[in-house]
Amino acid sequence: MKALSRFFGVLLILASAYRIDAQFITGSLGDFQMDETALYTMTKQMSQFMSRFNYEEDQYGTKINPNSPDYHNADKRKTVLPLLFDMDNPRTAGSLRDYFIEDVTGKNVQGLEFLGGQWYAEVSAKFMWKGRPVDISLIMAIQEEGLGSKWVISNVFFSEFQQLFPQGELAEKEKHFLHPMSHELDFMNIYKVFKDPQIIEYYASTKYQPDYLTLFFYEIKKGNLVFDSVDKVKFHIFQIKNWYFEISWFDRAGYNSGWLISNLVYLNETEKEALIKIYQPHSF
Amino acid sequence: MKKIIFAVAFAFFALTGLQSFAQEPELTPERKHDIDSLALEKVRDLSKYVKIVGSKDTPWSEANRVIDRAEELFAPDAEIGVSSLSKTKIEYYKVRQYLERLMRLNYDRVEIDWYKIQYVSDLQRQPDGTYVGVITVFQTFKGYDAEGRLIYQDTTKKDITVYVKRKETQIGGRLIGFWDVLLGDMRVKETTSK
Repeated sequence: MKALSRFFGVLLILASAYRIDAQFITGSLGDFQMDETALYTMTKQMSQFMSRFNYEEDQYGTKINPNSPDYHNADKRKTVLPLLFDMDNPRTAGSLRDYFIEDVTGKNVQGLEFLGGQWYAEVSAKFMWKGRPVDISLIMAIQEEGLGSKWVISNVFFSEFQQLFPQGELAEKEKHFLHPMSHELDFMNIYKVFKDPQIIEYYASTKYQPDYLTLFFYEIKKGNLVFDSVDKVKFHIFQIKNWYFEISWFDRAGYNSGWLISNLVYLNETEKEALIKIYQPHSF
Repeated sequence: MKKIIFAVAFAFFALTGLQSFAQEPELTPERKHDIDSLALEKVRDLSKYVKIVGSKDTPWSEANRVIDRAEELFAPDAEIGVSSLSKTKIEYYKVRQYLERLMRLNYDRVEIDWYKIQYVSDLQRQPDGTYVGVITVFQTFKGYDAEGRLIYQDTTKKDITVYVKRKETQIGGRLIGFWDVLLGDMRVKETTSK
């Protein structure tokens, strides 16, 4: 099945080779004589991924006029969508992928929107923390502001922060509280809160959630955490009903490269909501 | 000749667009298309300048003059972020610094070619209303030694930021609005090397 889908993908690309040539010679940047078919099929930008996903651009790279019947055409989308998946990964090249394509091109057509929210960039970066190198993932989201939009940091994943707030067992948590009449004793028992710093959060409200972003800013402001470099970037997309997928960069030869779907999960909307809270704890 | 046609087209584009710009700075799909062409023209100029600066046949004074022209294509604070397959950490350069580095490369002969392919993203607006887009192009580089042997070769993907800003100028006492296109930060990523 995998070999078959790859074969059809390649066939489609080869069939388009003539048109690619004819289209781009006029007004093109360079004159380098070389087979560029792989570069045309490469999904070169996230913008291009979205355009191809929605069939606002065909597989040859031509933008489709919004007034054309081809624009968002479901049948044509079905031929382009498989090319946007990592064909080397069984998770993104099998029947799950086919169900997904049926879902987005079926009765309730679904596409991606740049300003539609519910999509995030994960920037894996290197920092120096108290003199040693550490890896931190910055979660970025698009926020509309003024006349346009901008990327903002919506959360951070740093193992040192996460370890500061372990889940803890419920039975253990229930042992730690200040009784409801403590106020009558001028909170003379409050010292218990500070007795064991590792579990201090047990004395916060049951709904308390640590704010890792504030911790991150604090550490930066204090000079404990210093940015070094960006390692890699990937994207997490929650815009499609009942689906989550991840997009990664594939720098490789052949006709399946660039920004491609690297993970695909069927997820009901309740589970999705919980997951989105991790990426974006505060709504904009 | 091509440059003259473009300059005339740009002036026409600026003047005819005056009324609609004054009332509504939104870009229509047709105008976006025109702006894409203008931005691509700037990238084409840059590609020519890179070839001239990189060529070992270009006299030093001429190369410096071309670097001045190249700098004018970019916004003043534009940076070029370069990474290679072996060194993924991004090194940052100013436009002049990047081109001077290219000029000083230690090869006897250099060949720089640009692929025909280019990709222009949709334009998005940033909070201050300036439109921003990215143009992706590909370049091959070959460095030869004195005996004509190929000693280094790579292909790089260049993602170039394009800023499109509404500006005004006075012509014959009249205030004329136009869309100005400037290049911004450029990300240079090596995709293959030998």
